[in-house]
Amino acid sequence: MKAQTFAAAAPQSPVFRLRLPGEFGWIWIATAALFAISAIVAPGTVRPASLSAMLPFAAMLAIVAAGQTIVIQQRGLDLSCAAMMSLGGVVVAKLGFAADSMLLAVAGTVAVAALCGSLNGLLVARLNIMPIVATLAMNAVLLGAVNMLSRGTPLAVPDALESFSHRDVLGVPWTLVLSLGFLLSIAVISARTLIGRRFVAVGANPRAARAAGMPVLAYQVGTYGAAAVCFAVAGMLYAGFIGSASQNAGTDFLLPGIAAVVVGGTPFSGGRGSVIASGVAAVFMTQLGILVMALGAGSAVQLLIQALVIIAATAVRELPGILRRKA
Amino acid sequence: MPPVSRLASWSRELLARWSDSTGISPSDRVETLGAEQRFIVEIVKALASEPQVLVLDEPTEHLAAEDVERLFRRVREVTARGAAVVYISHRIREVQTIADRLTVLRDGQGQGTYPARGLSEDEIIHLIVGMDLEEEFPPKCTEFGPEVLRLEGLGGSGFSDVSLGLRRGEILGVGGISDNGQQDFVRALAGLGRVSSGRALIGGKPADLGSPITAMRAGLSYLPGDRHREGIFAELSLRENFASRSPLKDRIAGFASRSSETRRTAEAIRAYAVKTPGTETPIGSLSGGNQQKLVLASVVATGPKVLVIDEPTQGVDVGARAEIYRILRDLASRGTAIIVLSSDAAEIAGLCDRVVVFSRGQLVSELAGEEVTENGITGAALRSTAVRDGAEKGTAGFWKWAAGDLAPIVMVGLAIFALGAYVSAANGYYLTGRNIGGMLVLISTLALVAYGQQALMLVGGIDLSVGPLMGLVQVVASFFILDGATGGLMALGGAAMLAAALGVGFLNWCLVVPLRLHPMVATLATYMGVQAVSLILRPAPGGMINGDLLSLAGTRIGFVPVMFLVAAAIAVALEWMLYRHGLGLAFRALGSKPEVARMAGLPPARLRLFAYLGCSVLTLIAGVAMMEQVGIGDPRAGLNYTLASIAAVVIGGGSLFGGRGSFVGALFGAAFIVQINTATNFLGLNAAWQSYLLGGMIILAVAVYSKSRQKVVAA
Repeated sequence: MKAQTFAAAAPQSPVFRLRLPGEFGWIWIATAALFAISAIVAPGTVRPASLSAMLPFAAMLAIVAAGQTIVIQQRGLDLSCAAMMSLGGVVVAKLGFAADSMLLAVAGTVAVAALCGSLNGLLVARLNIMPIVATLAMNAVLLGAVNMLSRGTPLAVPDALESFSHRDVLGVPWTLVLSLGFLLSIAVISARTLIGRRFVAVGANPRAARAAGMPVLAYQVGTYGAAAVCFAVAGMLYAGFIGSASQNAGTDFLLPGIAAVVVGGTPFSGGRGSVIASGVAAVFMTQLGILVMALGAGSAVQLLIQALVIIAATAVRELPGILRRKA
Repeated sequence: MPPVSRLASWSRELLARWSDSTGISPSDRVETLGAEQRFIVEIVKALASEPQVLVLDEPTEHLAAEDVERLFRRVREVTARGAAVVYISHRIREVQTIADRLTVLRDGQGQGTYPARGLSEDEIIHLIVGMDLEEEFPPKCTEFGPEVLRLEGLGGSGFSDVSLGLRRGEILGVGGISDNGQQDFVRALAGLGRVSSGRALIGGKPADLGSPITAMRAGLSYLPGDRHREGIFAELSLRENFASRSPLKDRIAGFASRSSETRRTAEAIRAYAVKTPGTETPIGSLSGGNQQKLVLASVVATGPKVLVIDEPTQGVDVGARAEIYRILRDLASRGTAIIVLSSDAAEIAGLCDRVVVFSRGQLVSELAGEEVTENGITGAALRSTAVRDGAEKGTAGFWKWAAGDLAPIVMVGLAIFALGAYVSAANGYYLTGRNIGGMLVLISTLALVAYGQQALMLVGGIDLSVGPLMGLVQVVASFFILDGATGGLMALGGAAMLAAALGVGFLNWCLVVPLRLHPMVATLATYMGVQAVSLILRPAPGGMINGDLLSLAGTRIGFVPVMFLVAAAIAVALEWMLYRHGLGLAFRALGSKPEVARMAGLPPARLRLFAYLGCSVLTLIAGVAMMEQVGIGDPRAGLNYTLASIAAVVIGGGSLFGGRGSFVGALFGAAFIVQINTATNFLGLNAAWQSYLLGGMIILAVAVYSKSRQKVVAA
C-alpha cells in the first residue's frame, strides 16, 4: 500500500500538456495585451505624458482594490469603502489645519479609519451580521459623520497634502510608488509570514481555523481594520490630488474597486486571493477606460465594456471547470 | 404528498409511526434538532415517498442502537411491499443483519456480489481490504508512564463532575450513546466548549481550556470529528493544511519558509501513507481516509502531550482505518497520552486500554483490562440510560420569540409606530393625509423592489441590478408612453418594458446558474451593463411620460394611493404562497440547503430561473410605481433602490444566507426606511442624522435577529 503513495503522483504526459496560466496569471497577460493594443490603435494613450496622468488614478484604485481583496479573502465585502474614503479625505483636511502637522493629521486619520474598520469587523465576526449588511449600515453612519464634519460642502485640503499627492520621484508619480509599497507589503505579509498563513486559513474555513488554534476573531476584525486603512489612505491621496475633500469622493471608487478584485481573479469563496493581481487589474481597468475614451466612446460605453470585462474575466476562469464537468 | 395546508398533521403521523418518543414537532426548525433527530427526519422523509427503489447511504452513522432496530424494521416493511433497497454502509455487522445480497467495492471496482448469509465477517473484510488483515487492531499495551493529565471535577455545558487521570502511553476511550455529554466533554477539553467548574492539570500544571489556543499551548491538541466543517481547509493544499497547526516550525528568520513546509508535508505523507498526487493538491480532492490521515499528521505535528481525537475513523474506509489504529498505537508507545471518542463501541473496545462511559452528561462507568469489550461498553451505556434526559437546555423566552418569523414584523412595526407618534407630537403636519399619502407612495415603490430582492434572497441569491433596471424601465417607457401616443404604441412600450425586465432577469440567471458566477459578481456586472444601456438610450433625462397614465397610476382612495394597496396586496399574496404553496416551500428548501433540495427532487436551475424572472418583474412594477414620482425618462432615477431594497429586506427579517424571509416583513422594512427619512426632515435634523439613524437601526435589527437565531440553534 505504501508503494502507491507517490507513484500516483506522476501526471500522464507532462511534456505536451498545454499549460494554462493560473487564476492570478490571466490578468498579467490581459494587461500586456491591452497596452499592446493601445499602442497600435491609440498611440496617444501610451505616451509618457498620458501614462503619468493615468497612473495616479490607477494607483489609488489599486489601494482601494487591495483593501477590498483582503476583505473578500475573508468571505466578506466592504460596502463602507465609499464613505471610508470620503472620511479619510475630510478628516485629514480637518486635522491638517487643526494640528498644523501633516504627519499627525495622517496618523490621526489612519487611527480613525482603523477604528471604524474594526467596528465593521466586530459587527461581522462577533454579532454574525452578513458583511454586506454590516458595512452598508456602517457606510450610512460614516456618511452621516462626513456630512457633519464637512457641513455638506467640499473642504479645502492643506497645501502640504496637495503637493504630496502631485509629487514624483524620477518621473514616477508618488502615488504610484506609495501604492506599490502598499501592495508589495500586503503581498509579502500574506504570502511569506505566519500572519499571512493564518489569514488565508481563517478565510478558507474559520471554524477549522479556530479548532486548529488560531485567533480567528483577531484576524477577522484586523482584516476590516486594515481594509479601512487602505480606503482612508486612498481617500487622503484623492483629496490631495483634486485639492478638496468632498462627501461623495469615494462613490466613484466603490464599484471599480470591487470590479478590479473580480477581474484580478480573487474568488468570492474565501481564503485564496492576490492583492498584486487586484493591483494589476486596477491598472488594466483604468487604462481600458482611457482607451475606450480615446476611441471616442462616452462614459456609457465605458461602463458597458467594464461590465463585459467582469463577465469575461470570471467566465474565463470558470470555463475549464464547466467544460470538464460537461465532458 | 398531501396539500401544503395539511402538511403538519401528515408529518406528525409519519414521525409517530417511527416512534412515539422522537421529541420532534413538525413546526420545529430542523437546525434546532440534534444530529440524531435530524437523521430520523431524513429517514422518515425518504420512507414517506414510498419509493420503488430506496438508497440508504450510511443511514446509521448518527443513530442510537434502538433507532437502528427501528430503521431495520422499516426497511423490512419496505421490502415486504415489493420495493428494492440499496443499503450502503461501512458497518459490516449491520449489512450482514439487513442485507439479502451484498456487493463489495474497493478503489471504485466491484469485488463481486454474494449472498449475505454465505460470507463471514473476516471474508468480507478480506474483500474490502484486498488482503488479510491479521488483526484490525494493533496489540494493546500494559506498561504506562507517569500521569500526564488529571481532571478534577471538570464540568461545563452538557457534562458535569468528571474526574479522571491519564498516563503517558495510554489510550483512553470515551463511549456512550450519542448526545450524552461525551462530545461536549471532549470539545471542552479542546477549548471549544465551556468549562464552568473544576480544573484540568497537564503535566502537573493547571491548563487553561478557555480556547483552542490556550489548550494547545498547555500541550493538548484536538482532532475534530466533523472533518469537513472543522478539520480541513478544503480548497487549500495539503502543504497549507499540514503546516497550519504548527507554523512556528517553518519559521526561518521571521518568514514562513515554503520549502520547509513542503519538506515536512512530504515526510508526513510518506510516514502516514497518504495517497496524493503531491503536496500542492487541494485536500478536498482526496478521499476521506487520506484527508483524515493528513489532518491527524498535522495535529500530531504540534507535538502534544495529550491528543484528543473525536471520531477517528468517521467516513474512512476499512484499510485506512487499520492504518489509523496502528498510527495511534505507535504514537502512544512513544509517550503520547490519547483520548478517543467514538460512537462505535467495537472501535473503542479494540483500540483503547481503558474506557470511560458517559450517560446524561456524567461519567458513569470505567472499564479497564479484560472489561474493555464491545459488550461491556454497550452494556454499561445501556444500563445507565434506561431513561433519556428529557430536560432540554432552555432558551430565554425573548430570544426564542425573537427568532420566530413574526418577531421582525412586530418589532419593526412598533418602531415605526413609536417614531411616528414622536414626530407627530413634534410637528402637526406629519399626520395630514397629504403627508401620509406621499409617504405611502414612496413605501410602495421601495416595497415592490424589496419583494423582488426578497424572492431572490430566499434562494440564496442577491440582485444588485434592480436599481439600474428601474431606471431602464423608465427610460424605455419614455420612448413609447408619451403624451399623445396611440394605444398601439403604448402597448408596444409596455411590451418593450416587460421584455427589458425579463431580459435582465434571464441574463442574471444565465450568469449565475449555467456560467456559475458568484451572484454578487454577476449582478454587479449587470448593474453596470444595464446602467450603460440606459445612459446610451438617454444620456440626459428626457421624454415626458404620458400624463393621463401617470395620474391613473397616482389615483388615490381618500389619501391612500392605489399603488400602496396594490403593493400591500402583493405582499400578502406572496406571503401566502411562501407558506401555503408548493413553490414557496420549494424556494425556502432550496435556499436553506441546495444539495438536500436537489436530492428531494426539486429542480434548482428552474427554481432559480423563477426567482430571477420574478425579481425582475417585481422590479418592473416598482419602476412603474416610481414613474409617477419622476415623470420623465431618467437613467439614474433608480440607483439608490439597490441598497435600499437590501436594507428593507434585512430590516424585515430576511436572511442573506437564504431559506428564510418574509414579504410582509420587507413591506415593513420599506415603511421603516421611509419613516426614518421623513422623520428626520420633520424634526428638522440635518442629513447626517438620517444616515446615523438608518445605519444604526439596520445594525440593531440585524444584530437582534442574528443573535436570537444563533441562541436558538445553539440550545
